[in-house]
Amino acid sequence: MAKGVEWVRLTDQEVVLQARAGQDAAYRELIRRYERPVFALLFRMVRDRELAEDLAQETFIKALNAIESYRPEFKFSSWIFKIANNAAIDHLRRRELDTLSLDGSPHAETPEAMQATALQIGGRQESPLDAVEARELGGMIEEAIGRLRPEYRSCILLRHVEGRAYEEIAEILNLPLGTVKTYIHRARNELRQALAHLKE
Amino acid sequence: MTQAPGPHFSPDDIDLWLDGTLAAERARHLDACRQCLEMALAEREIVEQISALPLMNPSAGFTERVMQSVSVPDPFAIRSISTARRRLFANPRSVATAASLLLVLVGSMAGSIVWSLNNQDTLAAFGTWILAQGGQAAWLAIRGVASNVIEQPWYEGAKVLVGNPTRLALASGLASFAYLGGVLALRRLLALPTPGVAHASL
Repeated sequence: MAKGVEWVRLTDQEVVLQARAGQDAAYRELIRRYERPVFALLFRMVRDRELAEDLAQETFIKALNAIESYRPEFKFSSWIFKIANNAAIDHLRRRELDTLSLDGSPHAETPEAMQATALQIGGRQESPLDAVEARELGGMIEEAIGRLRPEYRSCILLRHVEGRAYEEIAEILNLPLGTVKTYIHRARNELRQALAHLKE
Repeated sequence: MTQAPGPHFSPDDIDLWLDGTLAAERARHLDACRQCLEMALAEREIVEQISALPLMNPSAGFTERVMQSVSVPDPFAIRSISTARRRLFANPRSVATAASLLLVLVGSMAGSIVWSLNNQDTLAAFGTWILAQGGQAAWLAIRGVASNVIEQPWYEGAKVLVGNPTRLALASGLASFAYLGGVLALRRLLALPTPGVAHASL
């Protein structure tokens, strides 16, 4: 494709084809399209700007160097979000961050099991700087999202920040559709409870 | 409130209501059920707060930092391969032609190998005959050249020169000087003129 191409008019799949043909500008266009949502998702997952930037960089490098393995029948956004989410989850698992849930394990089937696996709010160690930054970024809701389990957090962010369909979220997170719906419902429930004191 | 139509809202109903895709008949349940209405409004408030979260950007130079670690394939290499591939698979006729050529090539190679294995004696005899004929031709050529040189008028003078070591050394020295002089002259002739360089002193 000649120089001066209007990248904005091309679909993600078309831009990927140009990237595969060795067009440097196509790679830049893919970064331009997804740097903000990918970074935002990662930041809200790990709640650390520098780390989120490292993970975003890692996500793009991994995706763009493996652009040949991308299958165009799937959405590019699903692919890049999947890589980003895996990077965040891997990091959180490695660091064994304290994750908090009012409802307990997402896999818990009975109220007793949920009670047994539930954690108490306040267990997460957050630096004063993080707290200030969180307030700047949207206050209590941002903090409350940060206290959700990573699985819930991914679901709620992809659904209500990125506006992804349930089916796409299921594809990104490699989860059954029903599980995604359950996670989002539980996440909203936890957020409502976490923010209830603001109404009192 | 009057008796609410239908059962209480399920999470799926709330999702559909939040998306604005819940059937109007089902949505009428909210008009009569305070419990579901409060729950739906609370969910909507949460969703609105999440959706209103600020957009975020990575720091400046993010693209460049990523691009430094991305290997962009060489477009020329890809183009030549893809062009060849495209031409080959352009239509059934070109595919059939390519397949026929491949078949002829592989078939002839296989035939050649099979024939060679079955006729090793013939091949050996042919090789011996070729060697003998080649040797004879080479010997004839050498003899022809030698007799030609001997018949030259300068042959006797050269023979005397080679017979006297002092003269031979002198002739060799002169020839070497002439050769060196020739090389230096040629080098000067072939050297390009040096253009002036602007601001060369800076």
